[in-house]
Amino acid sequence: MSNTGKVWAVGAMNSRRFLRERSNLFFAFVFPLALILIIGLQFGGDAAPRLGVVDPGGDIAGIVSEQLAAAQLDITIVRSDDAGSLVERVESTDLDAAIVFPPDLDDTIARGDEATIGFTTANTTAGQQLATLVDDILARALAVPTVEQLAVERGADPAQAAAAAARLEPTLARIEVATVTTGDRLFPSDIEGYDVAAPSTLVLFVFVNGLAGSYALIQSRQLGISSRMMSTPTSVRSIIFGEALGRLSIGLIQGGYILLATLVVFGVNWGDPLGATIILVMVAAVSAGASMCFGVLFSNPEQASGIGVVVALGFGALGGAMMPIELFSDTLETIARFTPHFWAIDAFAELVRHDASITDIGTQLGVLGLFAVGFLLFAAWRMRIVLTRPGRA
Amino acid sequence: MRGGDDAEPHARVAWPTAPASGPCRGGAPIDPVLEVDGISKRFGELQAVDSVTFRVAPGETYGLLGPNGAGKSTCISMIAALLTPDAGTIRVLGQEMTTSSTAGRAQIGLVPQEVAVYPDLTARENLRFFGRLYDITGGALNTRVDQILDVIGLTERADDRSSEFSGGMNRRLNIGIGLLHQPQLLILDEPTVGVDPQSRNAILDSVEQLSAEGMAVLYTTHYMEEAERLCDRIGIIDAGKLKAEGTRRELTTSVGERDRVQVGVSGSLEPALDAVRHLDGVTSASTTDDGITLITDDAGPILARVLDAITGAGGSVTTVEVSQPDLEAVFLHLTGKALRD
Ligand SMILES: Nc1ncnc2c1ncn2[C@@H]1O[C@H](COP(=O)(O)OP(=O)(O)OP(=O)(O)O)[C@@H](O)[C@H]1O
Ligand SMILES: [Mg+2]
Repeated sequence: MSNTGKVWAVGAMNSRRFLRERSNLFFAFVFPLALILIIGLQFGGDAAPRLGVVDPGGDIAGIVSEQLAAAQLDITIVRSDDAGSLVERVESTDLDAAIVFPPDLDDTIARGDEATIGFTTANTTAGQQLATLVDDILARALAVPTVEQLAVERGADPAQAAAAAARLEPTLARIEVATVTTGDRLFPSDIEGYDVAAPSTLVLFVFVNGLAGSYALIQSRQLGISSRMMSTPTSVRSIIFGEALGRLSIGLIQGGYILLATLVVFGVNWGDPLGATIILVMVAAVSAGASMCFGVLFSNPEQASGIGVVVALGFGALGGAMMPIELFSDTLETIARFTPHFWAIDAFAELVRHDASITDIGTQLGVLGLFAVGFLLFAAWRMRIVLTRPGRA
Repeated sequence: MRGGDDAEPHARVAWPTAPASGPCRGGAPIDPVLEVDGISKRFGELQAVDSVTFRVAPGETYGLLGPNGAGKSTCISMIAALLTPDAGTIRVLGQEMTTSSTAGRAQIGLVPQEVAVYPDLTARENLRFFGRLYDITGGALNTRVDQILDVIGLTERADDRSSEFSGGMNRRLNIGIGLLHQPQLLILDEPTVGVDPQSRNAILDSVEQLSAEGMAVLYTTHYMEEAERLCDRIGIIDAGKLKAEGTRRELTTSVGERDRVQVGVSGSLEPALDAVRHLDGVTSASTTDDGITLITDDAGPILARVLDAITGAGGSVTTVEVSQPDLEAVFLHLTGKALRD
């Protein structure tokens, strides 16, 4: 048989063994989907829109707040003095929108100067709803009669107030609501919870199962099967390629299944199919490489598998596969960039949010490629040593 | 076959009779299947194998007999090119075996000491997998796998996982894998350890069968009976050194052990004793209570003449008992210790 044939034989044998194990099937196929379902339901639930408000006091701000409270839409208002943190929370979709009143709004308007009210909305359905509502309320709050009424309430003579209001009229146009739609890292407004959960769960579980499967290599050595393979007219290279191919196909089978199942069952939007497939191949390749590394670095299968799962979960958490990266501090986000998970999830997100194609995710694919090549080369180098060194016969 | 206590130990012609002089058959030199030349292997302080040299001829069954830790498996690993010798060379059908070349490997079928099969794959899947590694493909693979399943008696259980097999069944599967590609040299490393007597017999039978079909076999064991039953020639290995080699008879005579023939005789013993004492091949003879005891290098060829001489001298033979020295005695003689610890 040709070398390629043998590579395939070793690869196929690996996937066959993987698919045969019941617990593998549960963790690879049942569990991830269940998790996506749970996360999806949680994210996609129709909770009250959450609006952050920076209100330094003042009449206009007061009126807007009142109106918001009275609105038909059930809104949860989160007050804060820190505009920056509110905006960050909108970016991470923790809040759907934030409105920031400048401290001297009333006076500025009274002077007839230009004022800016900051409004940041997330690219979510609730964010859009809040945007419309706040626009509407602001328009009313800033309307001339309101200003006039304000003046009267402050004890001005109604006639004077009317005159002042008339004078103010041209300045109204100069009050600008600066609406910023944020969530650049997030998804389009038709985002569903499943769309958030599916890619990160896919990445997480391809790694978890990949590293859990690192026991297979060690087991082959312990059972003397690696030696036995070496006693056949099969080159070390074919064995190494075959084992790598086996790990790769397991990742592809699992990831492909999650991709297709979530597409069909939850209608998850994966974006450009070619792009998604290539990201999946890269994820499976990195996972295969990492799995091989564990397989050559450990000599106890249970240890490799156990530590592998812990490492996969840890890297998953660090890389944003368990919690959106947008919630990370800057330091953590920098750390996240050292995990393949970060780049994979980022690439998947990119496909969906910008309708990106492969060319737009070149960086992410490149980084994933480096991870894969690095792991695979290291594993191949070690494996050659491990396979050809004197083992207990 | 050649039972250890058979009166006819040479039912099969041992070959070659003079290993050192180079293998010959009908005058034409026959290239050995396996040439092991001065191989050594050291693990740290331990000299596991020390300058071991031997040859295995086509169709020959060669036994490496030695106790636990003698270095048998280490030799096998080097022969199968899984381990690089510190010194010496190994050739299989003239091909040098190295860890980096795959050429010679196609000619050998290795059956490792420990069962090396995937427990979560079925017998058929295991065979198919290794068949592909042995370059068998397509329809030929299916046919061959079915044949092997038949040979190892696992046709009925072909589609059960090997984890469900008994120890003996797994041993048979282990052997079957080594036979897939009809190797020129079958290497069996203690294939009967931990096997029930029935499976053990089945294994020994199939080795005899394969040998009869012309396959050269290298067989390691620490069971003297197995070596005696199966092997044309035996190398005695201890503490990494090949202490002696040859046919069973060569080994026993080399250490001065002789066959003992006890003939029960009724009638006068003295004339009978006189008649046999000077026969060619008889080393010594003496009378016992009810007969005569002879010591000879080889009881086989002289037995008929001995019996004729006794009857000719007026004695009448009631019983004949030939006892041959066994390899245990040889081992004890060579190493000063018993074969089994
Ligand atoms: N990889 C290794 N590293 C260190 N020592 C080894 C190694 N392999 C074998 N040995 C030692 O070399 C010696 C010979 O071992 P080997 O396995 O060849 O013996 P054996 O004749 O096959 O014994 P057994 O009948 O028990 O299988 C033993 O003392 C063993 O402990
Ligand atoms: Mg051994």
